[in-house]
Amino acid sequence: MKYDVIIVGAGVSGSFIAQDLAVKGVRVLVIEAGRSFTRDTYPRKEIDANAQLYWGGGVELNSSATLALLRPKVVGGGSIVNQALMDRFDHIALDSWRSQSGAGLFSEAAMAPWYEAAENELIIQDIPESTRNGNAEIFAEGFKACGFTCKPLSRAQSGCKFEEGNDCIECLSGCRIDSKQSTPVTVLRRALRAGCHLASECEVQQVKHTDENVVVSGVTRLGRNFSFEARKLVLAGGAIGNSRLLLNSNFQRKLPYLGKGFYTHPQYMVMGLYDREINAHKGPLQSYKSYDAGFRLKGFKLENVFAPPVAISMLVPNSGVGHLAKMKQITKMACIEVAVRDTNAGRIRVNGSGRAVIYKELNGLDRERKAHGMKAIHDIFSATGAREIVPGRLGIGLHLMGGLAIGSSQKSSVVGHDFKLHQHKNIYAADSSIFPNAPGINPSLTIMALSKLAASVMLKEL
Amino acid sequence: MTPLAIRGLKKAGDILIPGDDKFPRFSQTDLYVALPRMMDDMYKDDREGFILLTSAFGLMPSFMIRLILWVSSLDHLFPKFIASILRQIYIGVRGVIFTLYYSGIDQQGILDHLGFHSQINTKLPQDIEMQELLASAHPLKRPVMLGESQVIEKARVAQKEIAQLDVSTRLKAIKRLKRVILARQEEIVEWIQKETQKARTDVLTSEIFGIMEHLEFLEKHVEAAIKDETAPTPVAMMGKKSKIYYEPMGVILIISPWNYPFYQAIVPITCAFVTGNACVYKPSELTPLQGLVESVLTEAGIAPSWAQVVYGDGKVAQELIAQKPNKIFFTGSVGTGKKIMAQASEYLIPVELELGGKDPMIVFKEAHMNRAVAGAIWGAFTNSGQSCTSVERLYVESSIYEEFKKELLAKVQTVKIGVDTDGDADMGKMISPKQVKIVADLVKDALSQGAVMLTGQEWDFHSDTIPPIVLEGTTHGMRINQEEIFGPVLPLMRFNSEDEAIELANDSAFGLSASVWGKGDQCERVARKLITGNVSINNVMISEGNHALPFGGVKDSGIGRYKGVMGLRSFCNVKSVLIDGNSKKIEANWYPYTPKKYRLFTDLTQALFKKKWIGFALSGLKLESYSQKAKRP
Repeated sequence: MKYDVIIVGAGVSGSFIAQDLAVKGVRVLVIEAGRSFTRDTYPRKEIDANAQLYWGGGVELNSSATLALLRPKVVGGGSIVNQALMDRFDHIALDSWRSQSGAGLFSEAAMAPWYEAAENELIIQDIPESTRNGNAEIFAEGFKACGFTCKPLSRAQSGCKFEEGNDCIECLSGCRIDSKQSTPVTVLRRALRAGCHLASECEVQQVKHTDENVVVSGVTRLGRNFSFEARKLVLAGGAIGNSRLLLNSNFQRKLPYLGKGFYTHPQYMVMGLYDREINAHKGPLQSYKSYDAGFRLKGFKLENVFAPPVAISMLVPNSGVGHLAKMKQITKMACIEVAVRDTNAGRIRVNGSGRAVIYKELNGLDRERKAHGMKAIHDIFSATGAREIVPGRLGIGLHLMGGLAIGSSQKSSVVGHDFKLHQHKNIYAADSSIFPNAPGINPSLTIMALSKLAASVMLKEL
Repeated sequence: MTPLAIRGLKKAGDILIPGDDKFPRFSQTDLYVALPRMMDDMYKDDREGFILLTSAFGLMPSFMIRLILWVSSLDHLFPKFIASILRQIYIGVRGVIFTLYYSGIDQQGILDHLGFHSQINTKLPQDIEMQELLASAHPLKRPVMLGESQVIEKARVAQKEIAQLDVSTRLKAIKRLKRVILARQEEIVEWIQKETQKARTDVLTSEIFGIMEHLEFLEKHVEAAIKDETAPTPVAMMGKKSKIYYEPMGVILIISPWNYPFYQAIVPITCAFVTGNACVYKPSELTPLQGLVESVLTEAGIAPSWAQVVYGDGKVAQELIAQKPNKIFFTGSVGTGKKIMAQASEYLIPVELELGGKDPMIVFKEAHMNRAVAGAIWGAFTNSGQSCTSVERLYVESSIYEEFKKELLAKVQTVKIGVDTDGDADMGKMISPKQVKIVADLVKDALSQGAVMLTGQEWDFHSDTIPPIVLEGTTHGMRINQEEIFGPVLPLMRFNSEDEAIELANDSAFGLSASVWGKGDQCERVARKLITGNVSINNVMISEGNHALPFGGVKDSGIGRYKGVMGLRSFCNVKSVLIDGNSKKIEANWYPYTPKKYRLFTDLTQALFKKKWIGFALSGLKLESYSQKAKRP
């Protein structure tokens, strides 16, 4: 059977586009390398969650092994494993995108209807301050003491029922109560109801195309070959996934900027040890975000976060008795994370066996931004009586952006303003891979908005 | 992972996690067993690199590993390229070891000691809609097209991992499994109830309680059941030793029916696992419990590749058999059993068939009336009669027949029908629409030949809610007393003598189990004369409740036994080993054969079997010494 559209990747972008096309009667196939779960079957132990929900069995590293890249591999993608923070971009992010890409779309006014359309697909709630846990309390009090500004988070959730004793840290491996608005409870479900096909556990490895026709091929999780054919193709495999697929299919000859301009908002978690019980893992995992004009100008943001024990154990330095001594204080730990709005573009390449190799470092400016953030975290922890401050050993990259930057010139971008690859009539992308630079704000809502816009463009052409 | 790599991993683990009075040392946890849970999804080159590294650790003294880990934590002192390799080692080793240690999959309660308790308490019903959407949206016909062509192969690889675990390590997973099932009891019950529409108590008692009993049996008895045995060695083989090893067979294909979907999954899977086999489990397409079995097993630390679940219909089963598993364990109907055996015969795959039954219940006049009536009702109607060991023929001694009938009918009226949420119902609905039709056909056939419905007249012969049906006036000439009903129908008949009762009970193509009620000695006498696999005396459907008793049928009810020590051994390759000393001696029965040797052997044979021990000793010595120097000229 030949489809109208094949979408590679069932993450946020793929799910949104699938829905908007499928409900209009377009024959859509979404292909996803990861497995599909429902609220009943999400893995419950950290070991299984890491293995079953991410590429590489947990983490992938950049070439210098200084950043742990968390790249979801599951039906629902980032919407399964992230914390579902929903923020529109501000004028700072959009202005810089507009000037870099030349796309008039990137202004608060032009994006507003698409943001609104995306928000209408989900339930978004502000986290009430009354439910905050010890970790959030330290965050808020520290901010106050240091004269910083923070604000309750907006999150795509329908009701986490904290009064029943639910701990959202569990939902990092999929929300078992379907409160989190992951795409399998929202747009992807509606796409499937409308007859959209979904091939999970199928990893696309090659794209072949003419102007009228696209053939994608790859292998199933158990090693059988498959191939599918369609009139149009949407790349929704994220920054690394899309870049890798196109590089392995030799698109770089026509698209010299392919794989360049890769950003991750490098994140560094810092633990504060207190004498009292903090229980950062209880209740809502996050309640606040920094909302400080000074932070924004200095190029970083702080997040009120925590992580389950395996992740914490990877961050805590030392080994042996010293490591265990820190781990024993896990319930007395607070944690704040600095996310850097990185300026040093990284690069995605593929090696001989077709695996992605990620070159991504901080430059002087990025390190300065990180240092500003670390200083702010130190101030907050000190102001709230932390006994010891323990910086995490490893940087984390989980906002994976770029590689197929949007723009007008073939030299400095891959995707055009119409969301099509330059010089290609039937291959589209609208996910985080088209981000022209790092916005410094959580990308999820913007991916949704761009995907809705791209879907509307495609509908006119089908 | 090779034994060497595991040794290296444990050494490195003890350096990273030396433990203290409360926290176990890494190697004390046996958590390396859970490695396949993470390795399966790693990139191949990462996996191979890790095995290489830990193998190297296995060969090094601990202080060297400590040095390497210490140096790798000083990455910033080295030039870029070396620093990145050091960091990869540091992150890789810590990543694997800490993931195993801090995931909450240990026996020692590491997360409890940390005080780290996170939970989700809100209970939601199952997301059936999404399960169905996902199943129907996949363009590659699951499972065949998706590549399940490799499952048996994958299981063969996984089996090598299981074989490396000693029995006590396997039993740790069984212990965890018990914990997981108890903790998730209500969720599991609801899930099963949703797919089967059974009464809630049916689910709890047969699927949860039954499994727990089975797992306890495994914990207590597997070790003894499959440890090496010594067999007697005859006098003529003096100086030699005889042993029996109970070894894994390899990959067991388990194909299960829809009547007890969780029990029929967990029991055979764990039997296969504790005896060192990998298995591939195919549930019925009617009650797949999609995702539940995997979820429970992985949570207990049984890696997905050790017990793979493959969904689909009979075609899928055929594909799997064609991949030549080492044994097929099938529970289900006679018809399907025959097809499976026919296909298996092409490859000479051993089969174990747990097929249908047509179980008789014989009530003598000495039986305690009240108890026998209650037993008959439960035995015929529990699980709506959808058990292979349901009572399908009830024979009551003539002298008490009328009184028995009266009490039976009075009690049947009190059976409460419904799919309850709180335990307040006795009988739920039928699982399979096809089975509803079979039940209707059999009952109609009986009625058309003169049988009478004493209860259940309100049934419209279509609804999947079938009330308990008691039939009178049926004969052995009717299909209802020859074919398996597998529904809540109880034909009530009478007999006049013990011999007649035995003859009636044995007049069946099936022979799974039976129950006999009355005086102990008479019951045991009758039990010996019944042609069947299992008998309950003064009880019903209870022999299979004791997991120490082997279970299985004769005639059309199947081939083989599982459960009990014998059942566990049925998952084993029974390997006979005869051990002789590493000497220079030439055996007397080896070449060359000479006339003299023939003579000496004759003397020995005559002496040995006439028990003339002195003669035996002398001829034995002569033969022995001659054999060492005998030469063909």
